[in-house]
Amino acid sequence: MKTFILALIIIAGSLLIYGTQDMPNWGDPQSPASTHVSPYYIQHSMIDMETPNIVSSVLADYRGYDTMGETTVIFTAAFVCLLLLRRRNKEQGDQ
Amino acid sequence: MLDLLLSKYNYWLYVILMMIGLYAMLAKRNLVKKLIGMNIFQTAVILFYVSISVKTGHVDVPILPYHHHGHEQAAINVAHYLNPLPHVLMLTAIVVSIATAGVALAVLILIYRKYGTLQEDEILKINKEVGA
Repeated sequence: MKTFILALIIIAGSLLIYGTQDMPNWGDPQSPASTHVSPYYIQHSMIDMETPNIVSSVLADYRGYDTMGETTVIFTAAFVCLLLLRRRNKEQGDQ
Repeated sequence: MLDLLLSKYNYWLYVILMMIGLYAMLAKRNLVKKLIGMNIFQTAVILFYVSISVKTGHVDVPILPYHHHGHEQAAINVAHYLNPLPHVLMLTAIVVSIATAGVALAVLILIYRKYGTLQEDEILKINKEVGA
């Protein structure tokens, strides 16, 4: 079983490494991730939001709804933890 | 070949890290070790995204110079700041990974209370004995 998993992982890893041939080089300023929408954020963050930190202006202003959903995720996780770890009174007898 | 290694070695490192996490998730019998493997996997993805945002040259962190007087800003050269978008997305991903780790640890505590062990095969054995 372990050898089967190891073989599976070597195959998956070599496929992923084969796939990196088409990725942009490390630190390439013209990579697709750095040319599509991120120049807009860098150039307009100060004009639109007057926030020097671009990361926080994108997180809280441009993508504010995303962050609101993220707080929902945190709330749900905390709530589920509370529900799971709550000790019920009737179960305490057989603990 | 060396050229390829020097320009893509970051991706290769993260692929190796990701495969370590995947191996831990698939091959380990202890549930906590599986969870740690999942965290290693998530860390590999986060590092991959952060490495996408890197630009070589005269690059600064994505924090703009701030002037209190509000006069016209000098034109901002995009090549002088790191790509802020992967950083933002990975903030969200870190939050989600913490949330999943918390819920998973809570479930593991419940499993330990019920079965008295966190070894996967022992739990399956107990389940089989109860079912028979």
